[in-house]
Amino acid sequence: MQRIAIIQGQNAVVAEPNWLITTLLGSCIAVCLYDPVARVGGMNHFLLGEPGRERNLTPQDMQRYGVHAMELLINGMMSKGATRQRLRAHLYGGANIIAGLGSIGSSNAGFARRFVETEGIAIGHADVGGNRARKVEFLPYEGRARSSTVTDPLPLPLPSPKPLLPAVAGELELF
Amino acid sequence: MPAAAAIKVMVVDDQTSMRAMIRRALQDIGFKDVRDKPTAAEALAAVKSDRVHLIISDYNMPDMDGLQFLEEVRSDGVIGKTVFIMLTGSSDREVVQRAAALGVNNYLVKPFAPAALKDKIERVFGALS
Repeated sequence: MQRIAIIQGQNAVVAEPNWLITTLLGSCIAVCLYDPVARVGGMNHFLLGEPGRERNLTPQDMQRYGVHAMELLINGMMSKGATRQRLRAHLYGGANIIAGLGSIGSSNAGFARRFVETEGIAIGHADVGGNRARKVEFLPYEGRARSSTVTDPLPLPLPSPKPLLPAVAGELELF
Repeated sequence: MPAAAAIKVMVVDDQTSMRAMIRRALQDIGFKDVRDKPTAAEALAAVKSDRVHLIISDYNMPDMDGLQFLEEVRSDGVIGKTVFIMLTGSSDREVVQRAAALGVNNYLVKPFAPAALKDKIERVFGALS
């Protein structure tokens, strides 16, 4: 069994047997998507649900949000042969772990549920909320996932992935 | 200075949540007439029957992608000059070059901030009031 561990801001999509995707979650959310016919599965891990009406958001800020993370995951699934209408989801995370951060975990969990319902994606298994960190393991080819609570505290802050955006100098200037 | 409220916009993206987010951003800028469709085929039919001034379309869509949609728009004698802004992923440099060759007016890389959306629109229409 080959293993892919993802952290906040990342996703992984696999269309082969004998792969396991795993992540550790606190208030963040991991959505596992799978297409049972194409046998494609993928998982993401995002920090926040969707932006409010803040005016000074940067593209880097936007990468933290689930609305972007979900698009990347769905596009990745479709590029490997999945069909949107067949997608099913498992939802994990959204714990309210850290005193002083309010109910950010609950907000994240609410976003995840709203998102998959809005997009017409059926929910298989959901383990969200509470106040304990979780470890999630997902078999993408089978579409099966499981979560377990983590006794040891998560290291904070979680490591940030390398920036996914190209340097501004790499953009094409049309006008 | 064109008034955003007078510009009719069609937003095309296969993800409902993304369409809603773009609509909110446009409404915050001042646009009042914002329509949206989940597929390029539906959007094409809609803008042919009721013209808009601006199309904001995702590239990565099933069936007809953003480039095919752009090509259909540009080849139409009636709606061919409609302003077209394409939304792309960060790794779609080739897509942008092909879109430029097809006559796209501008493009925006996802994820984008609302201010970037306004900037791209103003580069085509001029400063909005």
